[in-house]
Amino acid sequence: MLPTGAPGFELRDVSLKVRQGAIYGFLGPNGAGKTTTIQLLLGLLRPQGGSISVLGRQVPLELPRILGATGYIPERPHLYPFLTVAQAIRFHGAFYRGFDWAYAEELRRGFDLRGEAKLARLSKGEMGKLHVLLVLAQRPELLVLDEPTDGLDPVVRRDGLSALLDFCSQGAATVFISSHLVHELERICDWIGVLDRGRLVAELPMHAFKNGIKRIRLDHAPSLIGDTPFLLVSRQQSALDQVWVVRGWQPTMVQWFQGAGAKVKEIVDLDLEEGFVELLRGARTPTS
Amino acid sequence: MFRHIDPRSPIPLYVQIANRLRVAVATGEVVPATPLPSVRQLAAEIRVNPATVVQAYRELERDGIVESRQGAGTFVRELAEPKRASERQREARRLVRALVAQASGLALTREDLEHAWKNETGGRS
Repeated sequence: MLPTGAPGFELRDVSLKVRQGAIYGFLGPNGAGKTTTIQLLLGLLRPQGGSISVLGRQVPLELPRILGATGYIPERPHLYPFLTVAQAIRFHGAFYRGFDWAYAEELRRGFDLRGEAKLARLSKGEMGKLHVLLVLAQRPELLVLDEPTDGLDPVVRRDGLSALLDFCSQGAATVFISSHLVHELERICDWIGVLDRGRLVAELPMHAFKNGIKRIRLDHAPSLIGDTPFLLVSRQQSALDQVWVVRGWQPTMVQWFQGAGAKVKEIVDLDLEEGFVELLRGARTPTS
Repeated sequence: MFRHIDPRSPIPLYVQIANRLRVAVATGEVVPATPLPSVRQLAAEIRVNPATVVQAYRELERDGIVESRQGAGTFVRELAEPKRASERQREARRLVRALVAQASGLALTREDLEHAWKNETGGRS
């Protein structure tokens, strides 16, 4: 995709590939362009160049069919506040041919939402649950969730996540979740894509991301490096030692350090959040 | 039962889930013929990708800890004592390995650990 967003902001070099049936976590700091990317995917913005295909169909040419099979929760969702929960369900459901009314009712009960409650009176958490209910009851092929849990308390997040996973267990829906809350995605995503300042800096299976990226504590780290068997993400001098963050690490690579006269003191696994931070650090600063 | 599943650990989630069940079976915490929760139930309950649960169950089946019966679900198998003992040993070694790694990272010695063990377990074996 080579689109342009607002003046002064650009997405460039974004080649996203989301496999069918995956739960794909789209990570990035605020302002990276995640929402812009989603808007492009769903035809809410037009690209200047490149191509976009969703569910095997071209955007914007076949947009109605795509949107009919997609459940979308935007960052700031809007429903008419004067409707009741029951009315909102009927209103939303009317747009979708395969809307599962029984499932909607089951979810409403599970989420403890009163049908007669006016939307204006619902708490943030209840609204969040209602949005999850509406998109799941569509029984969509694709779910696009833009920062779905932001601002919601942990209990609501868990309930929403459980319902989402329950839905995923039932079929082969593809889920695309954008978030800067890395910890939640860590449990459920099997793919991640990292966006930073309008560029996709990484896209890989979750296990590859987590296994391959390590923090290495060193003494006498070489200052000049030629080819490395791993990918060097960043180098830092801390109070006690040198710290390198690398990708594509294999245990045998310790020998490379030994050959360079360095001593490997510790190899630390990074969790998704740390890996994400290090990846961004590496993407933003030259390491040579 | 799965309270300690840690997505931040380098150990893949499906391995953590499978190991937890393995130990539960080996120690008798979960008895033979107990049905495991469905993939759907467990995924929603512990909030992990259903594919992760599928992988965990598959691994347990491959190792002969559980068996899946068409249409009925997945059930814990009866394990002979030698197998149960080896599974317990495996888990114990895993715990000790983690402890030793952490201790050596802090330059604690074996004596330090043995001393602490005695104190913590009050002399019981």
